[in-house]
Amino acid sequence: MDSSELYHIKQQFVLGAYKTLTQLTLPDPSSPDYTSTLLYKARAYIALHDAKSALQLMPEDTEDVSLKSAASLARYVAAADATEKEAALEELRDLSVEIEGDESEGSEREKAAVRVLAGTAFVQAGEIEEALETLGTDTEDLEAVALIVQIYLSINRPDLAKKQFDRSKRWAEDDLLLQLIESTIGLVTGKDGYSNTSSFYTEQLGNPSLSSPHLLTARGVTRILRNEITEAKSDLEESLQQQKGNSEAEAAYVVAAGLGATKPLEAEELWTRFAAEHPTHPLVENVNQKAAAFDEFAAKFTVPPLATASA
Amino acid sequence: MSVMLTKFESKSNRVKGLAFHPTQPLLAAALHNGSVQLWNYRMGVLVDRFEEHEGPVRGVAIHPSRALLVTGGDDYKIKVWDLRPQNRRCLFTLSGHLDYVRTVQFHHEMPWILSCSDDQTIRIWNSTSRQCIAVLTGHSHYVMSAQFHPKEDLVVSASMDQTVRVWDISGLRKGSPNASGSGGPGGSGPGNFETFDTFSTVKYVLEGHDRGVNYAMFHPTLPLIISAADDRVIKIWRMSETKAWEVDSCRGHFNNVSSALFHPKHELIVSCGEDKTVRVWDLAKRTAIQTFRREQDRFWVLAAHPNLNLFAAGHDSGLIVFKLERERPAFSVHQDTLYYVRDKYVRAYDFNNGSDIGLLSVRKFGSPYVPPRTLSFNPAERGVILTISSDNGIFELTKLPEQAQGEVKDSSVDGKKGSGQSAIFVARNRFAVLNKTTQLIEVRDLSNSVVKSIKPPVQTNELFYGGTACLILSSTTSVVLYDIQQQKTIAEINSPPVKYVVWSGDGALVALMSKHTITIANKNFSTHSLIHETIRIKSGAWDDSGVFIYSTLNHVKYCLSQGDHGVICTLDNPVYLTRVKGKTVYCLDRSARPRTITFDPTEYRFKLALLKNNYEEMLYIIRTSTLLGQSIIAYLQQKGFPEIALHFVQDTNTRFELAIECGNLDVAMETAKTINRPECWSRLAQQALKQGNHKIVEKAYQQTKNFDKLSFLYLATGSTDKLSKMQKIAEARGDPMSRFHNSLYAGDVEGRISVLRDVGLHPLAYLTAKTNGLDDLAAEILEAAGLSEADIDDVPTFGASSLKPPPIITPTADLIWPSVSTGENFFDRALASGSLEGGVEPAYVNGDATAAGAHHALDAWAREEEIHDEIDPEEGGWELDADGAEFEAAVEGEEAAVVEEEDTELGAGATPGINETELWVRNSPLAADHVAAGSFDTAMQLLNRQLGIVNLALLKPLFLSIYRSSHTYLSPVASLPPLMLHVRRNPTESSPSRILPVAARSLQSIRSELAEGYRFVSGNKLADAQTTFRSVLQALLLVVLSSDDEAKQWRETVTNAREYLLGVSIELERRRVAEEEPENVQRNLELAAYFTQCRLQAAHLQIALRSAISAFAKANNQAHAARFARRLLELNPDPKIVAQARQRIAAGERNPRNAIEISYDEFTPFEICAATYTPIYKGSPSVHCPFTDASYLPQYKGNLDPLAQLAEIGAAASGLPAPW
Repeated sequence: MDSSELYHIKQQFVLGAYKTLTQLTLPDPSSPDYTSTLLYKARAYIALHDAKSALQLMPEDTEDVSLKSAASLARYVAAADATEKEAALEELRDLSVEIEGDESEGSEREKAAVRVLAGTAFVQAGEIEEALETLGTDTEDLEAVALIVQIYLSINRPDLAKKQFDRSKRWAEDDLLLQLIESTIGLVTGKDGYSNTSSFYTEQLGNPSLSSPHLLTARGVTRILRNEITEAKSDLEESLQQQKGNSEAEAAYVVAAGLGATKPLEAEELWTRFAAEHPTHPLVENVNQKAAAFDEFAAKFTVPPLATASA
Repeated sequence: MSVMLTKFESKSNRVKGLAFHPTQPLLAAALHNGSVQLWNYRMGVLVDRFEEHEGPVRGVAIHPSRALLVTGGDDYKIKVWDLRPQNRRCLFTLSGHLDYVRTVQFHHEMPWILSCSDDQTIRIWNSTSRQCIAVLTGHSHYVMSAQFHPKEDLVVSASMDQTVRVWDISGLRKGSPNASGSGGPGGSGPGNFETFDTFSTVKYVLEGHDRGVNYAMFHPTLPLIISAADDRVIKIWRMSETKAWEVDSCRGHFNNVSSALFHPKHELIVSCGEDKTVRVWDLAKRTAIQTFRREQDRFWVLAAHPNLNLFAAGHDSGLIVFKLERERPAFSVHQDTLYYVRDKYVRAYDFNNGSDIGLLSVRKFGSPYVPPRTLSFNPAERGVILTISSDNGIFELTKLPEQAQGEVKDSSVDGKKGSGQSAIFVARNRFAVLNKTTQLIEVRDLSNSVVKSIKPPVQTNELFYGGTACLILSSTTSVVLYDIQQQKTIAEINSPPVKYVVWSGDGALVALMSKHTITIANKNFSTHSLIHETIRIKSGAWDDSGVFIYSTLNHVKYCLSQGDHGVICTLDNPVYLTRVKGKTVYCLDRSARPRTITFDPTEYRFKLALLKNNYEEMLYIIRTSTLLGQSIIAYLQQKGFPEIALHFVQDTNTRFELAIECGNLDVAMETAKTINRPECWSRLAQQALKQGNHKIVEKAYQQTKNFDKLSFLYLATGSTDKLSKMQKIAEARGDPMSRFHNSLYAGDVEGRISVLRDVGLHPLAYLTAKTNGLDDLAAEILEAAGLSEADIDDVPTFGASSLKPPPIITPTADLIWPSVSTGENFFDRALASGSLEGGVEPAYVNGDATAAGAHHALDAWAREEEIHDEIDPEEGGWELDADGAEFEAAVEGEEAAVVEEEDTELGAGATPGINETELWVRNSPLAADHVAAGSFDTAMQLLNRQLGIVNLALLKPLFLSIYRSSHTYLSPVASLPPLMLHVRRNPTESSPSRILPVAARSLQSIRSELAEGYRFVSGNKLADAQTTFRSVLQALLLVVLSSDDEAKQWRETVTNAREYLLGVSIELERRRVAEEEPENVQRNLELAAYFTQCRLQAAHLQIALRSAISAFAKANNQAHAARFARRLLELNPDPKIVAQARQRIAAGERNPRNAIEISYDEFTPFEICAATYTPIYKGSPSVHCPFTDASYLPQYKGNLDPLAQLAEIGAAASGLPAPW
């Protein structure tokens, strides 16, 4: 059983209150929560794409596999080129193998953390299968399940995601993370008009123990999906006030703008700015790819000469 | 009562108590051996047994609304049981009686249990508090039965003391003293009796029986009591508010009467006794109607079902469940009317409007207790023939009145009767009557005189209509089709006794129904198929498309003419189908009330379409329903349609199997690549070899590294270059055998020798060299082997070898064996994205009229598109490579199919599913939706095909912004790449086959942009206006329409934008002319005049006219200026403008001439060529822009339209589809 502090930290992490987590003061190193807290803090940094700070947090000489893997993940995220990335991945692979051995040290919790962190890196590297293998689709670690579910959803297998969720329901009781998983599945399948997802985020926004702009963004996105564009716009604006330049919220805002939340011209401006500021965001990458495809396809049509009076 | 139909019988120990379940087909039986059985009498199975009583159990009852059972036994105990299947157990026991408990009963609304006992008391228990709340004393002998009144607070009891007593228990309801606790819970002590008596009193004591009374009960509605006693008499008593008296007795039993019941619905009494009989009596006349005898067993107990026509009787060795009359109503369907008999009235029910009227009373026909058995209707004379089984079988022929009169006619007025077991109309004015005992069929005319007698060729039990001038005769082992005219058998089919016959609507097929079989035959019985059912078949009706829908005891099923059958839905109670129309089954329920059942005919429609090769319909079904899954794939495969099944399967393994089975090598190849297992490749190679497609064989061999076969294949196809490559490969692999083979195949002697040398077979190498005339080489080998010519003296010399590979006559390396072109598979074509032509429902013969009507509204658009496809097939070719393989997901729809196969490999091997964008593409024929899905190529094709758009580059920003706005990203889990979420326009829809992308631009927003353009026009910002109108037209290309109404608006908006764009362009041209060629006044004036001909709004038209007026006035074309001024006045402009206009008109009248001649004839309607800005007068040839419909001079056909700059002028286009 987690201590209440740790529970709270976990809750914040699950609901995406990363900023709050990074400002956390670590407990005494002798405290049993020390490692876990440190881990979550580091992961929060990583989630905010601030891998450097995460690395600074990491003790150099730790034997703890979970911290080691967090450091590796941070290195992976921070890596500038492919070789560095590959090196970090290798570290994680080694760690994953290490925890599988019988004589390996480390508690179950540490092992689970290693799997989740390694899985995260694998997914980022596009190694879906490896990630699934590492996480183990029969795992009883809810964080791993959350990862697996998102992986399945990303490859358009909501059926498998649903299956994981149903399986987890049996042992995970009504964990917050489980609710998040359910809401995530709802986000993709759109069951019952996204009602479950929408109420989940609304409920968590009312959660007094934390505030997270991520939740606002998520609800904004849900509202976009529910075609409630004006409401979505206000959510996203609020979210952007709390965290300027957050790519997730901005991306959603661009979409909302394109769907009529703002004037077409304004939407176009927003988009141009967003595309310039976040060239690696999947939205931008996708659109750019499509733009290239457009030219290619359009070229297949021969445009006859314009009919003019002189012709 | 001529029939007592036994439904169910069981053998057991003596049955002393019986109780029906009010809703389920369950019957509880209390046995003398202490067991309580629970039977499902419909299925004939023992559901459960309750064995806690010690000694015989006599009393049993089931709660009328809750799942409770109460029993009372000789162990003095009353036990209450939970009846729910999962926890059948004894809930509690009520103790208090001091002797055998005889009967028990639940109260219909209070939580009371009534019991009576040999201890001479009747007790009432509260089943909630589990306390005895009343003890009724007064009987001076065993109390044999006690029953609550169905409505009032009364109890009737029967006792061995020869009395029947009625007790008033209204005091109990007002508040039991026991409940307050003062009386002492569980007051079982004799001392407590007085307290109880204060609120329950004997109301009447009925004396009259000479022996002990076994049973007494109240009439369900009338103030009557019936009692059964050991004096062999059943007595009927009547009671009023103040007294009760004996009314009559029924005598006939010749031993103790154990029980007597009022029939719950009819005026009948049912009794049973130790004389081994069950008897039925007329309540009004008190006469015996029917006796049912049993040889061995004395009857002990009777029970009636509370709602149905069902009874149960317990005897010495078991129980029987029976009904007293046939429930099957007599009916006949003619066109949209059902003629049927209910409660001895012939009624007509109109299927269309549901009107249901009584037309004819047949109360006096046959026994009043027996309903007519069959009804035959003759539309020509509105005649009906009814038969009834009473009186040994009689029939009656009557005419139905034209419509219902105030007083319903009775058939006895003019009915013509006769005896006969079966009677049916065989022609307009003839009917046939069967006399079973004499085996004679008489054909009679409408005056009931015999015109012909027929001796049937087989022992006939029943007659049916057999088509024109024919009869169907049913015998015990066969059915005979018999020609009345020729008096001869046409055909005979062996079959169990046929009970009902149903002809299909067109008279082409007939269903012959027996108890457990249905024979479907054509009209001359030359072909037929048989269906077996394990459960009783009740009725059937033909669907208009030739599918037979039938009902069994508990299902509605369908069967196709070739014998395929399956379940449509489950029934709680049997129904009698009368007619099937579309998705509705019309039927009569067991009390002969018309009902309808709606069902989903998709499955059988699909199978039927398959049988008839009606692919359009199959496709339509696939697209519009979610039915299809694994079962349908299995069905298709089993029925030998693997190529169709292929379109529905997603699982690669199954796809591979199917592709191999139907020889679709492309698909097989593709799936083999994904599966990539050696056995797959080798099977593929085998199949490809059979079909002569050696290229695929080659690939497959390559995949499995089957070098030997590969080499041989190259030899066979004569591809020498590849053989030499194989040689190199063999060398690289270090496989001398393979090298040898390859060099042999390739005719490469040197190569062969070198292999032989390499492996040290010098003698062979030497000889090979020698025989091929390579003497130098031979010498070299010899030397290498350390030998000289001398050493091999003894080797005989061989002649030169003629061994060489066969010469290639026709190189086939690049040819594959031709196979019959499968052409474009229908599915491939139809499934290619978007071109499903908006799912036009095929004219399904059985389609209900309303649906068809709705689809008419699908207007010409959809159909246009279809036609277009036919005339221009190659244009559809652009998307045919968009494989059919993609299709299956839409079919599989729900996850079920995937889930099943994925069970085993939930794990790492998860293959990606179908992207939602693919579903969007599949689900919509609209370009906008394809754009949103990112499928730009198909979107472009659609625009091109639907609206002739060619200049797509202009649309790029629009495409990208729509695509961008249709997807949003979110990562709920830390540090993972965000999920791409797809924004739908119907967020309440989550079925994969119906989801569609969000509509990024609404028609509304475009119309407001158009209004913006109008403002530019008013503000004289013509260049801006031109841009705006162009942008409006662009946006209109990618708007999502969802109704005819919107489609109309859309067209309107396009037209408006086009007119304005044209007008603005003309005006801009005029200004250009004025500036650049000021001397060209004529052109200037012409353009000004044309501008006024554009269909603009009044306000803008005024501007056009005013500018024309001033231009013309300036050029001194006063007459024209005056004309424009007149037109201006018609628009009711501002007073100031009116004044100016009048001046202009006056000027025109003063000087009615034009200085400059211009090409402008305002009196002939004309269109303006949007390229040259010259008029195209009505009747002159013109071409049009496929999108905006702007007109052009014919020479511009094939050019880009200059207005919107989007479409090719005069290109063929199908218009927008209407998918809603």
